[in-house]
Amino acid sequence: MRFGSKKSLIYLVCVVIFISLAASVSERTGVIASPGDQAARNLPILPSDLTSAGPIVSNDVCLGCHGTPGLSMTLLNGDVLDLYVNPDNYANSVHGQGGYACVQCHTNLGEYPHPLFTAPSLRDATLDLTLSCDRCHSGEYNLTMDSVHYDKLAIGIKEAAVCTDCHGSHDVHRWTDPDTNTLLPDARLDIPITCSRCHFAIYQKYRESVHGAALTDEANTDVPTCIDCHGVHNIGNPTTAVFRLKSPQLCAGCHTDPSLMDKYGISTNVLNTYVSDFHGTTVTLFEKQSPDSQTNKPVCYDCHGIHDISKVDDPETGIEMQQNLLVRCKECHLDATSNFPNAWMSHYNPSPEHYPLVYYVNLFYKVFIPLVLGGMGALVVMDVGHTVYVKTRRKKSTQIKSTAEVSPPPPDEITPTQSPLEQDSEEGQHE
Amino acid sequence: MTTQRRSTPASPHNDVKIVRTFPRFTVSQRWEHGLLLLSIAVLLFTGLPQKFKTTAWSQTLISTPERLETIQQIHHIAALVLTALVLYHLGKAIYLIARRKLPGEILFSMQDIKDAWNMLLYLVFIKKQKPAFGKYNFEQKVTYWFLFFSIGIMITSGYVMWFPEVVTRIIPGGIIPAAIMAHSTEAIVTFIFIVLWHFYHVHIERLNLSIFSGWLNEDDMRAYHSNEYNRLMRRPRPDQEPGDLKS
Repeated sequence: MRFGSKKSLIYLVCVVIFISLAASVSERTGVIASPGDQAARNLPILPSDLTSAGPIVSNDVCLGCHGTPGLSMTLLNGDVLDLYVNPDNYANSVHGQGGYACVQCHTNLGEYPHPLFTAPSLRDATLDLTLSCDRCHSGEYNLTMDSVHYDKLAIGIKEAAVCTDCHGSHDVHRWTDPDTNTLLPDARLDIPITCSRCHFAIYQKYRESVHGAALTDEANTDVPTCIDCHGVHNIGNPTTAVFRLKSPQLCAGCHTDPSLMDKYGISTNVLNTYVSDFHGTTVTLFEKQSPDSQTNKPVCYDCHGIHDISKVDDPETGIEMQQNLLVRCKECHLDATSNFPNAWMSHYNPSPEHYPLVYYVNLFYKVFIPLVLGGMGALVVMDVGHTVYVKTRRKKSTQIKSTAEVSPPPPDEITPTQSPLEQDSEEGQHE
Repeated sequence: MTTQRRSTPASPHNDVKIVRTFPRFTVSQRWEHGLLLLSIAVLLFTGLPQKFKTTAWSQTLISTPERLETIQQIHHIAALVLTALVLYHLGKAIYLIARRKLPGEILFSMQDIKDAWNMLLYLVFIKKQKPAFGKYNFEQKVTYWFLFFSIGIMITSGYVMWFPEVVTRIIPGGIIPAAIMAHSTEAIVTFIFIVLWHFYHVHIERLNLSIFSGWLNEDDMRAYHSNEYNRLMRRPRPDQEPGDLKS
């Protein structure tokens, strides 16, 4: 009986393992194929599968209908969905060049007639279709789920950007170098325009800023675009305390890099001079200790501007002009007057030329501390040494005295004004 | 300056010991020292973490803006106490000067330079005897005047930092970073000075609690302030016993 139960237990375990294996396999195939569609079940997903097997439905089949300009349908809410796909546009897109099939994104379509769009509006259709991106680009897709855009989407704001809003749909362009996985120079020029489609007011500010003007007018790709500060797929909320406290490091990423700054003659001391000033020290401390705390201590962009950053020596808006800086100071220091901005050392290390008073105060202490306090320390050490020396010598002499039994104290041990009793309390006063 | 005579409570034995004590500090001076000690301790405890913001011990203290705010408020309150104390001290001095009653014992004189020089010679074993001192020896005068100017710098620069908008109405803005530099560095200087110089002389060299008790006993007077002791003892007093004075 006992043996039999053990045997049946092993059998049971085997069955459980088999079932779970089978379930996981079927689950996986379920992911690959879109629900219910027999044709899609055999559909290859990954590029490697594509080259080996080839698509079941060729793009020409789709374009047979969708290559006709003017093909459209009206959705439930009255939106007109354009169903025309320009074959040349697609062929030039990164997916077209890669030979991807329509049905790899439009996974529920495989046989004719295919099901119609059921999305009630244009935006819903986009939101449905953008889920397809996850199938190949799950890394990026997962990053977007940490973004401020996704947060908005999650609370029902359907306008929040999804993949295709930035990358396009049938005309997706290549933005990164596939070998290095870094941004192509041309892509940098595209980025602000891409963001401007929703954030136009901010784009206009950026366009006029020292960074934006260099990018747009001179095609200078050294300057930051939107994503260099805000991130790419996991774009965070820039209005949080976390972002604020972290922001100096963001600017410092470029502004402490001599290979970028030297050709423009810009100091790379901007971060350490900021951090050594009390405003910056405090911000750095909070960033480390309580990164989500609110602080009114200024960060780079409080003085230099957020999207409208201008050159510091710009005659109209540059903050090298004290009256321009004063405006920034007054954000917190309401009573500040024209002298006040000069209290900030403008990223200079104090020197005889810049902030001589600070420089000489510092110099004074550099001399004063070793000289005076060092001298006092030396006196104290000598005093200790002297006392210890006298004590040990006296101990020795008392030892000699006690061996000699009765010998009057040497005349120089006790001065006439002292009685032997007082000698102990006088330690080292007289020899 | 008066000489007090105090006898210890009569012991059961016959050897009655007469302990003569000498008043050294007035009640007001003792209170001033107590408040000074307290306010400077609080100022250092709340100031040093702000100065050494990059260290771990400081960052555990100042971990949030709220904590920084609290620490700054305590610092400001202690600063107000210290300011009141300084104003009282200076006011009293001015009052005494006006009445020509200010004792000059704490002022530096040529004698102090000679004393310091002789002390140095004594410490390097050239002289056999320590110099004889008056009521305040040169070490104690250094302590007083060092802290006098330290506190002067700390208070001045402290208020400049506290009210930068007001100060820059009159003075160029460069005074603010200079005050910050002076305030924080002078604080370190003061701290080192107190520990190194003052604590050594009142705790380690000998335990001198006269600033708390107000008096010194005869032995200490004779040993450390012999000039003052002799001056007081030479002055004939009606109640003096003839055998008290030693030749």
